[in-house]
Amino acid sequence: MTILEQIVSSIKDNANNAFCIEDTLYTYKEFAICVSKIQRAIQKHINITDLNVGLIANNDLETYASIIALWLEGKAYVPLNPETPKNRNLNVIKQSDIHTIIDSSENTDYEQFLLINSKKLIGNDDTLTISNYSEDNLAYIFFTSGTTGNPKGVQITHKNLNYFMQAFEDLKYPIESSDRCLQMFDLTFDLSVVSYLAPLLKGACIYTLGSNNIKYLEVLKVMTRHRLTFSLMVPSVLHSLRPYFSKIHFENLKYSMFCGEALHLDITEAWSKCVPNAIIANVYGPTECTIYCTNYTYNPNGFNKSHNGILSIGKEMTTTETIIVDFENNPLPNNHLGELCLSGPQLTRGYWKNDDINKKAFFNVTINNEQKRFYKTGDLCKKDTEGDITYLGRIDFQAKVQGYRVELSEIEFHVKKILSELNVVAIIFENKIGNNEIALAIESPKFKTKKFLDELRTILPDYMIPSKIAFFLKLPLNVNGKINRNEMIKIIKEKYE
Amino acid sequence: MNNNILEKVTAVFTKILEHDNFELSESTTTHDVDGWESSTHMMIITEIEDEFNIEFELDELWSMKNIGDLVSCIQNKIE
Repeated sequence: MTILEQIVSSIKDNANNAFCIEDTLYTYKEFAICVSKIQRAIQKHINITDLNVGLIANNDLETYASIIALWLEGKAYVPLNPETPKNRNLNVIKQSDIHTIIDSSENTDYEQFLLINSKKLIGNDDTLTISNYSEDNLAYIFFTSGTTGNPKGVQITHKNLNYFMQAFEDLKYPIESSDRCLQMFDLTFDLSVVSYLAPLLKGACIYTLGSNNIKYLEVLKVMTRHRLTFSLMVPSVLHSLRPYFSKIHFENLKYSMFCGEALHLDITEAWSKCVPNAIIANVYGPTECTIYCTNYTYNPNGFNKSHNGILSIGKEMTTTETIIVDFENNPLPNNHLGELCLSGPQLTRGYWKNDDINKKAFFNVTINNEQKRFYKTGDLCKKDTEGDITYLGRIDFQAKVQGYRVELSEIEFHVKKILSELNVVAIIFENKIGNNEIALAIESPKFKTKKFLDELRTILPDYMIPSKIAFFLKLPLNVNGKINRNEMIKIIKEKYE
Repeated sequence: MNNNILEKVTAVFTKILEHDNFELSESTTTHDVDGWESSTHMMIITEIEDEFNIEFELDELWSMKNIGDLVSCIQNKIE
């Protein structure tokens, strides 16, 4: 069965709750009615050839229902965070040829497009039909930070998703209809997809975060109040909550998964005491290989594979093949350091309309007389004889902030545009609680940064705004006359640790 | 609002956020102060606990909506 068929059969005649949003429970029947009326609006208003639809990512039933309604009509959603600067969203809309936007907001910011206000639709019918399906249909396009100042779109098909869900099933971290599952991710982040999709397929209930400004406290609140049984989080949550671990005791939690950033062994050990009945797993994967594709199950009572205190990302999942390559894309033997590359049916067909980057990011290798297409992750890794992979760092200037991918050069691009004559370098550093922060080094005598940061905030999303600014009269250079990032990280770390 | 507490809280904010481009009042929320977000919030809270020698309960932490709530919570604890 495809995931779309599974969704339809799971929603139908299901007496359970489907969602808990801002402390309100919604049943599967209510969800079905909501999907159905949005589906009819799509049939009525959106041209059949119009395949990519913008979706304003609000935290409400209509927004989740819109995703399923679009899939039933053979269309893909492109999530647009309402908090993201409008110009950045307009860039995404333009790049992905979007003419229609589904928005549940009271007042929309996007009047210039064909709009469906999903909150204003009426209907009581709960029948759902798949009117257009091909496994090659796109399910979504997610945009991530690009090195040249432009975000780039990763296209994921239903085939990719079907294989991901198969690999997820094979992990044997089963979700049952009685489970209560955490969905802590912004809908523009692909970890949100597994967080709503895996429970939906099993008829379980999805708990989203309320609008509290301090997101990680909201995670704690939802997990505690609703005694959640299944969670996927970014490790940053643990770093922020660590001072309160002694007060956390989640006895109901059965599975506690982590993804999106390096997971440290020491904090995992401390966390395992807070979740005494849970299996802890560290999963890994870029958006390009559909959500995640390797898994390491933490052993609470013994040895764990780690490097420099970072837990292994484990073995490839069942529908992905992993290799480590050298600078010329030649596969390396076990225990050799190189770039991790991924292949298999979870792999994206490429970036949306971006041949230049596609040529650089994907390559073909012949293995056992079979030609396979691989994606270069940019992650520096090593694979041991048992197939477990350790992550050692990046080969480029991509960084992770709260799990989000950030190209440091994209920040520099926009900063330089604002501060036209100045030399600037964006740097990632680990703060004293272990979370990544972005620092900006500016070659200039000190000046007030408020105005400049306010302007930057109209261009970049929050997680890309530097949290620390350091002024240098002269940026440190290395022997080749290039900017010495390591020296700068050292100076900034000394200042902030 | 207790000004004595507010002054100390302001000093903690300045220390953790490393800037003073803000003025805290009863209705100030995370939206009003640069750099006040999930990660720094927890650092601010731990620093406040040390400063006043108090300990917050989890439900107190997630019930706080603004600086006014924070200050009155501190006041209740030190009284």
